[in-house]
Amino acid sequence: MDYAVRVEELRKVFGDVQALDGLSFSVDKGEIFGLIGPNGAGKTTALRIVSTLLLPTSGKVEVFGLDVVEQPEEVRKVLTYLPEEAGAYPNLSGREYLEFMAKFKARDKHELKEFVEEAAVISGLGERLKDKVKTYSKGMKRRLLVARALMTKPRLAVLDEPTSGLDVLHSYHVREIIKRYVKKHEVTVLLSSHNMLEVEYLCDRVALLNKGRIIAEGAPEELKEKFESANLEEVFAKVVKIA
Amino acid sequence: MLKGIGNLVLKELKELMRDPKILLGMVLMPLLMFPLMGTIIGASMEATKEKLAEMHVLVWDKDCGSYAKNFTEYLRSYGIRVHEVDVSKLSEAVALMPDYNATLLIEIPNGFSENVSRVIEGNTTVSAKVEVYGVFSGSGMFEEVCVSMVDALVESYNRQKAPNPVGVEKNTIVKGEILEGIDPGTVSGLMMAQSITMPLTIMMLLTFAMQIAATSVAMEKEEKTLETLLTLPIGRFTILAGKLAGSTIVAAVGALAYLVGFQYYMSSFTGMIPAEGVDLAALGLVPSMLGYVLIGISLFVSLLSALALAIILSAFAENVRSAQSLIGFVYPLIFLPSFLLMYMDISMLPLSLQILILAIPYSHPILASKAVIMGNLSTAVLSIIYVSAFTVVILYAAAKLFATEKILTVKLRMKKLKIKWKRKASTES
Repeated sequence: MDYAVRVEELRKVFGDVQALDGLSFSVDKGEIFGLIGPNGAGKTTALRIVSTLLLPTSGKVEVFGLDVVEQPEEVRKVLTYLPEEAGAYPNLSGREYLEFMAKFKARDKHELKEFVEEAAVISGLGERLKDKVKTYSKGMKRRLLVARALMTKPRLAVLDEPTSGLDVLHSYHVREIIKRYVKKHEVTVLLSSHNMLEVEYLCDRVALLNKGRIIAEGAPEELKEKFESANLEEVFAKVVKIA
Repeated sequence: MLKGIGNLVLKELKELMRDPKILLGMVLMPLLMFPLMGTIIGASMEATKEKLAEMHVLVWDKDCGSYAKNFTEYLRSYGIRVHEVDVSKLSEAVALMPDYNATLLIEIPNGFSENVSRVIEGNTTVSAKVEVYGVFSGSGMFEEVCVSMVDALVESYNRQKAPNPVGVEKNTIVKGEILEGIDPGTVSGLMMAQSITMPLTIMMLLTFAMQIAATSVAMEKEEKTLETLLTLPIGRFTILAGKLAGSTIVAAVGALAYLVGFQYYMSSFTGMIPAEGVDLAALGLVPSMLGYVLIGISLFVSLLSALALAIILSAFAENVRSAQSLIGFVYPLIFLPSFLLMYMDISMLPLSLQILILAIPYSHPILASKAVIMGNLSTAVLSIIYVSAFTVVILYAAAKLFATEKILTVKLRMKKLKIKWKRKASTES
């Protein structure tokens, strides 16, 4: 089967710290796949390797059959990456920021305009896109960035903690964007979160990460059934105990 | 009203002083830099004094009378190396100056001894004068000091003979041309505006540019926009080049604004220097078009290397504050040559300092501009070649850093170093 993302025996060591310890998983095309786990579990490191920001110490990672170590330039053409708690350029307006980012992917002016209009719809920021980013609240900034990551209809969107630090309403908005938009345009999403309830709502399949290893993997319903739990939080607690 | 201020101040001090980069950049650096600068400038002054003691003066005695001999001997008695030349024309004497490594030529005219005798006898209708020709070499302070020394010696000679039998007529030799009646000090004064403006502007341009580049990279790291940029389908070197170009343009605008302001400031008092109709352009002391191009290239390559260095350093910083502190470590390399070369020529410095100044790439725009003004284009070209080589190395390092994950993961691990050092110390003991 052709996978969107295939990770095999991935290891990453930073000095004395083993961040990833033989991580393996695969993401199907058009799927929303979530890496969940506590802080320091290795979620961000895994996403950064998939996004070509970091190099693996060992193991293999492919994005749509492209090797992230051998063909990073090609990989960057098919994905967008949203870092955790990222900001935007404070002195640009929201629209200028979107235009700046869209120019790297748009083939012509028409497509550029299309991308920016799409982002305006996704973010729901309306007239506020004319204002400088530094005047935005945290939630508005995150909506802008999520819109940036999705506006070009990438084949793979890598979203690190997409709702981290947001209030209930903004979190809800961002989750709705991802769910609706991704299914509509058949974008594959690989996301991370430590909010297990959110992941349960968003993801088709999840992998539970602890200390750089996957301790359970499957659809949220399957996992809940398997571990006789009411939600993924309970699943996680049980799996960690067993592990 | 200020209840709790003590607690707040204590917190601020702990927070700031425990940051090793701030401690090093703001406290230790000035403590080291200023004594170092003082030592170097002191050594340079010492070198100037030594050069003066070794000053060679040509004396063209056309008079050959007793007072002419007496005056020449008087100069010798002060340790000045006097070489008497027997020529028929002034131009011949000037042509001989390089052979004797002489910076001054004193012409004692016919009738000098007779006129001195008359003045001493009380005749106020006559005066005895010596013509002093100083070579203008663009070395700043030294020219003025040389001529001032002759002034002082004549003054003291006069005090012995009284009442003021000898006067001094000053002339300047620029690039072998004799400028009658023009004091080398006047030319120096006029050139001073240029020789101060240039190093100051270069200093400001380099420091502005480094700050801008470092802040820009550190902000991208802090806001994580760099991570986003690095996952875009563009070359990593393009991202680096974009940073370099953006910072250069902003720094150039800043430097231009600074230059315009500084020109106004200088012109407000340079008008007070008696110019006596001296036209620097006519004297060939204004760079030619090719000269300006060479100065521009020199400045550009130095700027590029400074920016690349700032980018490399800021990669080690976690935020804007620590990036600024790290950049502070490079400032002495910019300030030191700027201040030194503002007042003196590199040839006047002791050999070790000359090597140090030549090794610092940020000295070279100043050296190149001085060389260009004196018409020494080959020196400017050599200077450009050296800085270009340095720039290529630094750019390569910056490009390498951007091409790998190091741009995101590299950090100044002071704590780790400290722990390692402690471990080492304990195992040794």
